[in-house]
Amino acid sequence: MKKKFLGLSAATVLGLLVLTACGNNDEKDTSKATNDKDTFTYAISGDPTSLNPINVSDRWGLTATNMVYSPLARIEEDGTLKYELADSMETTDGGKSVTVHLKENVKWSDGEKFNADDVVFTYENKVLKENGNADSLWVGDQPIETEKVDDYTVKFNFPEVSAAAANNIATETYIMPEHLYEGQEEIDFSGSELADGNVVGTGPYSLKEYKRGEYMQFEANEHYYGGKPSVKNITLRIISNADTTKVALQKGEVDASMVLPSDIEDLEKNDLATYAYSENRVGYMGLNLNSDKLKDQKVRQAIFFALNKDDMNKAAYLSEEFYNTPNTILPPNNPFATTDVETYAQDVEKAKQLLSEAGVTDLKINLAYGSDNPEQTLQATLIQQQLQAVGINVELAGGDAAAIFTELRNPGSTKYDMFLGGYIMGNDPDLYSALYKSGAGANYFNYASEKADKLFEQGAVELDESKRKEIYAELQATINNDAVVYPIVDNKKILAASKNIQGIEDARLVPIYSFEDLSKISIK
Amino acid sequence: MIKYILKRLLQLIPLLLVISFIVFFLIHLAPYDAIDAIVTPNMSAETVELMKQRYGLDQPFLVQYVKWLTEIFKGNMGFSLLNQQSISAELATRIPNTMKLVIPAYITALILAMVLGLLAAANKNKWLDKIIDGLCSIGIATPTFWFAMILIYFLGYKLNLLPIIGMYTIGQDASFGDFFKHFFMPYLVLTVAFFPDLTRYIRTSALSQLNEDYVTVQQAFGATKKEIFMKHISRNVLIPVVTQIGQALPMLVTGAIITESIFGWPGVGPYMMTATKALDYPVIMAIMLLSATLVIVGNLLSDVLYRLVDPRIRQTGGGN
Repeated sequence: MKKKFLGLSAATVLGLLVLTACGNNDEKDTSKATNDKDTFTYAISGDPTSLNPINVSDRWGLTATNMVYSPLARIEEDGTLKYELADSMETTDGGKSVTVHLKENVKWSDGEKFNADDVVFTYENKVLKENGNADSLWVGDQPIETEKVDDYTVKFNFPEVSAAAANNIATETYIMPEHLYEGQEEIDFSGSELADGNVVGTGPYSLKEYKRGEYMQFEANEHYYGGKPSVKNITLRIISNADTTKVALQKGEVDASMVLPSDIEDLEKNDLATYAYSENRVGYMGLNLNSDKLKDQKVRQAIFFALNKDDMNKAAYLSEEFYNTPNTILPPNNPFATTDVETYAQDVEKAKQLLSEAGVTDLKINLAYGSDNPEQTLQATLIQQQLQAVGINVELAGGDAAAIFTELRNPGSTKYDMFLGGYIMGNDPDLYSALYKSGAGANYFNYASEKADKLFEQGAVELDESKRKEIYAELQATINNDAVVYPIVDNKKILAASKNIQGIEDARLVPIYSFEDLSKISIK
Repeated sequence: MIKYILKRLLQLIPLLLVISFIVFFLIHLAPYDAIDAIVTPNMSAETVELMKQRYGLDQPFLVQYVKWLTEIFKGNMGFSLLNQQSISAELATRIPNTMKLVIPAYITALILAMVLGLLAAANKNKWLDKIIDGLCSIGIATPTFWFAMILIYFLGYKLNLLPIIGMYTIGQDASFGDFFKHFFMPYLVLTVAFFPDLTRYIRTSALSQLNEDYVTVQQAFGATKKEIFMKHISRNVLIPVVTQIGQALPMLVTGAIITESIFGWPGVGPYMMTATKALDYPVIMAIMLLSATLVIVGNLLSDVLYRLVDPRIRQTGGGN
C-alpha cells in the first residue's frame, strides 16, 4: 500500500521530468500552431459585453461587431469622412437633413443585396430609447427621422439644425440586414445578443463560433465589398491575465495583442513588432468646484502652474513615442483642438504669487485616483510632490475608480477635491458637452459657466466649419482659463504583433476597436 | 441516521435564508450602484432611468431581495447585468470545467498528504519530518499566481512543452491528449496549493493517535512502529480526513479562481473575476450564495460521513 502511494506521489512531484521525456511530440504541435497561415489569433482581455449592433458600446463588443458589420461611413482622426456603405453624403435643407447615397454593389454575407431598407430598419430600431443606445440620434428632445428616398438613397431629417448630427449618424452605427427580420412583428433589440446569432453582415468576416470565456472564431466573408480578405480565419482569444497574454505572445500562441510600454523591450527581443497609435483619449486631473478650498480661480490656477505634466508623462509612459500631450479639453489630434490657450507651463514663482494674492496659506486638499491603475498612482504621487513645492499639502485618496466617480456624481459631493480620470469622447467637439456643460451627466467638475454653455450651444448649430473652429477655440480658452481640468496625457495604445503578420498599417489602427479593416492583413 | 440527516437538512433552511439576506445586503452596502456598470457618459438621464427600470434597480431594497429570492427558488439565478446571459446557464457550463481541474488536483493533494503526513508523524522531529515540514512551509508561502507564472515561463515558454492558455486547442477536435497538455500546469499549481495544509493536518492527527490507548496496547504486544502506522493509525487518521473532504466542497466552485484566470481556464474563476471588476452584482451574488451554500452543505456532509466512518459515534449518535 505504502509503496504504491510513494510511487504515485513521486510520479506527480517529478511529473516535470516525465513531461520533458515526451516533450518532442508536443513541440511539433506547438510549432505547427504558430505557423498556421490561415488563422490570425488576437488576444482580448474579456468577453464582449454586447454583440448586438444596435446597442453595442464596449471595446471588445465593438471590435467583434466591426468585423461582422459595416457603418455608412467612418470618421478619421483628422475629422474627414471615409465612406463604407455610403457612396456619398450631403447636408441638405440648410443643415436640417442629411442625404446619403448608398453603394449599389454591396451584398450581405448570405448573398442578399444590401439596400436602403436595411439602413432605415437599422436607424428606426436604434433610435428607440429602450434599446439603450439612442442618445446620439436624438437632437434636443426629438429623434432623428430616417426616410427612404429610393432603393439606394436615404434621408435623415433632424428636428433642428445640428452640426454634430452628420457625425453622429455615421459613428458606430452598424447596418443590420432587414431581410432576416421580415415578417416578424415585434423585434426586441434591447438584449446583448441577437436572437439568431450574428451571422449575416456586410463586414469582412462572419462569426462562426463563440465560446463564452474562451474565444470567438470568425471566417472570411467572400461577399465583402472591400475585397476578399486574405486571411481565412480570425480568432479573438479571451485571456484575462495580462502576464499570461505577454507569454502567449512571446511563444506565438497568439499573434497580436495590446501591450503596455513597459513590456515593449521584452517583446522586441522575441521578434515582435510594436505599433503605437493614439486613441484620442484625454487623461486629466479634474478639480471639484463644489469644494470650498477650490472656489477661488486663483487657487486653481496656482495648482496648475505648480504642476509639470512632462515629468508625469515621461515617468508613466517612458518615451514620447507612446503619448501626446494635450493642452485643452480636446485631444491633440482633434481637428478642433487649439494651442492658442493658457497651457499652464510650470511656473513655481507664479503659483506662489497667485496663492498669496488669493490669501491662501496651508492649503490641504485630497486627490482621488484609481489605486489599481499604475499610471494614475504614479501621476498622483508626482502631483503630490510638485504641489508640495509651492506649499500645498495633498492627501492621496486611492480607491476604486467606479466608486470614486459614483461619489463625484452625487450632487453636492465634496468628498474629493481633485481626481484623476480619462475620457475618449470621439471627434465632434459637441460630444464633450456631456462633460463640461452645466448640469451635464458626466460633469464631475461641477463646472457651471454661462459663457461655456453658450459657446457649446452655438457650436452645435454652426454649420460653417471655420466659424465653428473659432467658437470651439474660444470655448477651450474659456475652460482653460477657468482652471477646472488639467489635461495630462493622450496615452497611446500599443499593439504588439508577430512579424509574420503583414499589412497592419493598411488595416489601420483606430481607437476602441483596434483594427479598422482586418481584411487587409496577411500572414507571411 | 436518516432522521439525523433530515433534522440537519431542516436546520439548513433558515440558515440559508439568513445567508442569502446577508449576501444581498452586503452587495447593496457597496458604495456604488449596479447601474454604473452599464451606463456611459454619453447616456442621457432618461436612458439611465429606462435602464434602471429594465433591470429592476429602481425598486426598494426589500422588493428587490424578495424578487431575487423567488427567482432563485425557481432555479433562476438571474441574468448578468452586463450581457444579459443567464447566470444559471453560464455556471452550468463553467462549474464542470472547474471541477475537472479541482477534483484531480485535490485527490492528488490528498494522497500526497496522506503519505507525507504519515511519514512525518512516524519520524517525528527527525530529519524526514523536518524536510516535509519545510516543504509544507514553502508550499504555504508560495502564492499560486507566482508559482503559476514560473511554470508558464519555464514549461510553457522556455522549454515550449505545454500550451499555456485554455482547455483545448482551438479548431482541433477535442482529444484527451490535447486536454491533458492544457490541464497539466494548472493542475500542478492547484496540487501544490492544496497539499501543505492537508499534510500538516494529517501529521497532527496521526500524532494525536499515537497517544491513544490502542497504540500503547499494540506496543505492549510488541508490534513494530511500521505495523502500527500502516495497519492502525492510517485507518484512524482517515476519519478526520473524511471531514476535511466535506469541507472542501466549496472548492468545487471557487477553489481555483486565481489559477483559472492565469491559465485562461474557462471555469468559474475568470467569470467571477470579470463580474467583480464590472460590478455585475447578480453574478457576484449568485456565486457568493452558491459557495456559502456549499460551505454549509459541506459541513453537513462532513458530519454525516463522520458518523458513517466512525462506528462509535454512529452508535451513540444513532440513539439520539
